[in-house]
Amino acid sequence: MRSFTYERAQSVDAALEMLGNDGAVRPLAGGTDLLTLLKQDLLQPERLVDLKRADDLSRGIRQTDAGGLEIGALTTLADIERSPLVHERATALGQAVSLAASPQLRNMATLGGNLLQRPRCWYFRDRHIQCWLKGGSDCPARDGENQLHAIFPADPCVAVHPSDPATALLALDASVRLRGPRGDREIAIEDFLVAPTEARRLETVLADDELVISISVPVGGPGVRSSYVKAMDRKAWAFALVAAAARLQITDGRISDVRISLGGVAIAPHRARAAEAVLDGQPPSDDVIARAAGAADEGAQPLRRNAYKLALVRGLVQQLLTRTVASSRST
Amino acid sequence: MTSLQVEKNSQDGKVELKVHNSDQHLPVWTKDVDLHVVGRPAPRAEGRDKVTGRATYASDVRLPGLLYARVVRSPHPHARVVRVDTSRAESVPGVRAVITAANDLNPDWWKDGKLFDPVVRFIGDEVAAIAAESETAAEDALRLIDVEYEVLPFVTDLEAALEPDAPRVHAGGNLAEEPTIYTRGDVATGMREAEVVVERTYSTQTALHNSLEPHGSTASWQGEHLTLWDSTQSVFDVREQVAARLGLPQQQVRVIQHHMGGGFGAKQIAWKNTAIAALLSRRAGRPVQLMLKRDEENLASGNRNATQQRVRIGARRDGTLLAIDVQIDQQAGAYMVGGESADVPGMYQMLYRCPNVRTEQRVIYCNTGPAVAFRAPGYVEGAFALEQVMDELARELQMDPVELRRRNYTERDQPADKAYTSPAALREAYERVTSAFGWKDRELRRQHNGTRRRGYGFAAHCWIGGGGKPPGYSWVKLNGDGSADIVTGTQDIGTGTRTGLLQVAAEELGLPLDRVAVHLGDTSTGPYSPVSSGSATQATIGPAVRAAAADARRQLLDAAAALLEANAADLDVRDGRITVVATTRSIGVSDVMQQLSPHMILGEGQREENPPDKSIRTFGAQCVEVEVDTATGDVTVLRVAAAHDCGRIINPTLVESQVIGAVTQGLGFALTEERVVDHDLGLILNANLEEYKVPTVVDVPAIEHVPLDIPDIAANPTGAKGIGEPPLIPTAPAIANAIFDAIGVRICEAPISGQRLLEALQP
Repeated sequence: MRSFTYERAQSVDAALEMLGNDGAVRPLAGGTDLLTLLKQDLLQPERLVDLKRADDLSRGIRQTDAGGLEIGALTTLADIERSPLVHERATALGQAVSLAASPQLRNMATLGGNLLQRPRCWYFRDRHIQCWLKGGSDCPARDGENQLHAIFPADPCVAVHPSDPATALLALDASVRLRGPRGDREIAIEDFLVAPTEARRLETVLADDELVISISVPVGGPGVRSSYVKAMDRKAWAFALVAAAARLQITDGRISDVRISLGGVAIAPHRARAAEAVLDGQPPSDDVIARAAGAADEGAQPLRRNAYKLALVRGLVQQLLTRTVASSRST
Repeated sequence: MTSLQVEKNSQDGKVELKVHNSDQHLPVWTKDVDLHVVGRPAPRAEGRDKVTGRATYASDVRLPGLLYARVVRSPHPHARVVRVDTSRAESVPGVRAVITAANDLNPDWWKDGKLFDPVVRFIGDEVAAIAAESETAAEDALRLIDVEYEVLPFVTDLEAALEPDAPRVHAGGNLAEEPTIYTRGDVATGMREAEVVVERTYSTQTALHNSLEPHGSTASWQGEHLTLWDSTQSVFDVREQVAARLGLPQQQVRVIQHHMGGGFGAKQIAWKNTAIAALLSRRAGRPVQLMLKRDEENLASGNRNATQQRVRIGARRDGTLLAIDVQIDQQAGAYMVGGESADVPGMYQMLYRCPNVRTEQRVIYCNTGPAVAFRAPGYVEGAFALEQVMDELARELQMDPVELRRRNYTERDQPADKAYTSPAALREAYERVTSAFGWKDRELRRQHNGTRRRGYGFAAHCWIGGGGKPPGYSWVKLNGDGSADIVTGTQDIGTGTRTGLLQVAAEELGLPLDRVAVHLGDTSTGPYSPVSSGSATQATIGPAVRAAAADARRQLLDAAAALLEANAADLDVRDGRITVVATTRSIGVSDVMQQLSPHMILGEGQREENPPDKSIRTFGAQCVEVEVDTATGDVTVLRVAAAHDCGRIINPTLVESQVIGAVTQGLGFALTEERVVDHDLGLILNANLEEYKVPTVVDVPAIEHVPLDIPDIAANPTGAKGIGEPPLIPTAPAIANAIFDAIGVRICEAPISGQRLLEALQP
């Protein structure tokens, strides 16, 4: 690892003052991804600003007046995993966090940092490969070993977003509060995690001089419930091959207000809108679930090594929906 | 007293040396012998040191002035090194030594190569090295070494390397050696007579050892004398290699390995890192530590060779095997590094009675890191294919797969044309493991739940190792207080060798365990012992320790006889007390030794010859229950039962540890572990622990060890054989057979990942 200077920020404002807008200064929270990037020499910051002692940057889960949840950016995945409030009000998030990484990593990793982690694409993570996402000209994964890559590929990068919570948060219609020199802004998660562009080779719209402050999950109506499932190539401590989250409402025997999201399939968590459309207004029958699962991979364009993910999406969404409709109501 | 018999063959001039502990042929510990220490679950001698962090591994060595080293490695799969400019690196503050092919001794290494070869042949191949005051300074300097490469065409795929126009890894072509062909009987005739023939191609992946402790060494010079703390399975091989390459007499090189965090075969040879640490240390005039990083470990420090096996077997309708024919291609990587070779054909030649067998084995160079022995090398790969073909044959014949194996049982080592020393062991393994698992009643328990389907699988194995052989030496020192020091030059590679030898010594000496210490892992104090490989250490060194202890015991009883005014032949020693048999007269060992003090008793022992007319092998079998989710390709191994022959069990806890560890590695080999290569770029994509997936604790089911504990009395006087490697062999095919049993789909490619299952399950 290269040398860098390390400083502690006592407040969000102090941290914002230290951050520049050229990437030479990086905020540090749990460090579970940042330190890996430093050790692999994929980032060469001059200075790290440790946010963990910033008094006004929250670590904790709060119920809002409206009944939703507000989760401070510094809240660890372990905090979320142990929160009865999360399991009750945002079941999918609680399940996603329990399936993420390992207990040791969950003790360190924060929710804010988890949303900002860089892709695990093995070409991106190889310091000798100058891929498009790192400023190069093309994507070696597109025609390479892309078994772990996108089936809804962006152009040109075919990496997938690694976060489990992000997939759950998309289904839960969450939003992210950011703060920068120009003040606060609140952004829906689907507008926060987006495909990189030629000019912005990053998977979020967060500017270099901004910080994530909190994540909000809105309150659900009566009969709302959610859940999260994940396929890995071993039983624990692996990024999702495919993950799926659903939030839906069942009232008077009919499904409404459905959001289904998929992880491990695109550079940002992906809405399975065709599957949502199948469910909307229907009774939660096996037949309806099977048809929705069958539509979950609609629009997918697999690469040469990842066609298996289509079947996996359909199989996993079937299990997801079966579990979601059977789960007890959560507000 | 030991005698040596040296014979010179008049034809080829080869010298054959035979060892006899002549005047005192050790009585064999048969099943009926009453043993008091051996056979019981003694705790590991070094367990307390390990769990409290006091045990010193190679990376724990701290010496005044210690420097830290890093290695410059090729980023290209194949290139000529045109120029290495170290000037910028040498100006980094804290850098104390830089070595390259040009500025220091550049000894020969591997076959046809140099320590820093002018041609690099895989990503990770060594180019230069640096020692600095800190790891950070060494890394900063590493980035400033400017290497100019002339990039050459490369090939990283096993089959592509055999194409006539493939880039050549070495000047002589990509066949690393002449194909090895074995035949017995006539396969063509056997196939003609067969009523059923099964033909199938299997492939196995490149697997990475991933020992928790990487390769590494700490080197320190005192004048012309070099001390090396090395993470190695063979302190004596490292000494011999380093001494030869650096031009030193062996007595000036001392190699120490007191504790090791796993080797699994990859540390059984002298790797470049040891010599690099020694050269940097000599140049800097300071001690140097070089521990490899995980990616270096996984790129450049050995792997299990990938294979492709084209198998044909023919049988009669009653299951009798008539012919086995296999063509094996296996990947050497960029160099032949020596050590135990991967004997993939071994299973085909030995496991079943079959009159007509032909095996052909080709070893192929590629521009990837060199392959090296990996826990039961060759047999793991061979079993994956053979034990699945046997399962397919059983289905074709509508016969129980265990019954098919019973019908092809052999009590003889067919390639060697000798009887086994333990001819009933494999049969016992079949019977006991199936009975413990409930194999017969499996259909009653089979349940399917939606897309989740249960399956049951069986696989057997033989293993060429476990028997041990000479040479191997030990000394026993009986001290003035009646305690004993056991000295041997072997090493404990984490398997519990120290404890196993301690039990053998305490048993023979009649001393309690806490009065005996075993000293090993140091070339300067212990007599020569071979590499710890082939599951041989207990079977090689155990009898040598027992012989040395018996030599000491004889002298002890002679002394006690004089003091007790009795006949030495009437004396027995147990738990530190010598008694005149059938009397109440006795004396403590400590009393005898105190009266002799300051004289001591020195016992000497050597490993005796193996029986010339018999073959010592080990065997085993496993049953597995799995659940496969056909919707997601998820495989859960629910249960493994394992029965393995290792002769007499010296310590049931240690044996069970080996079974659990090996089955766990077998599970990873079966389902998740695979080095992934981009063949267009020659790039290893998962030389890490993130995307190279070893099993986690959640992946591993209950593993039931069904101990056989059949003393192999014809093998050696302790009746014990090794267990380190073989329980890994049958796990993967047993899982594969269980997966087929669950879903009716056979995946011929290891690992059987969810991805491969889902692809195969699509209509």
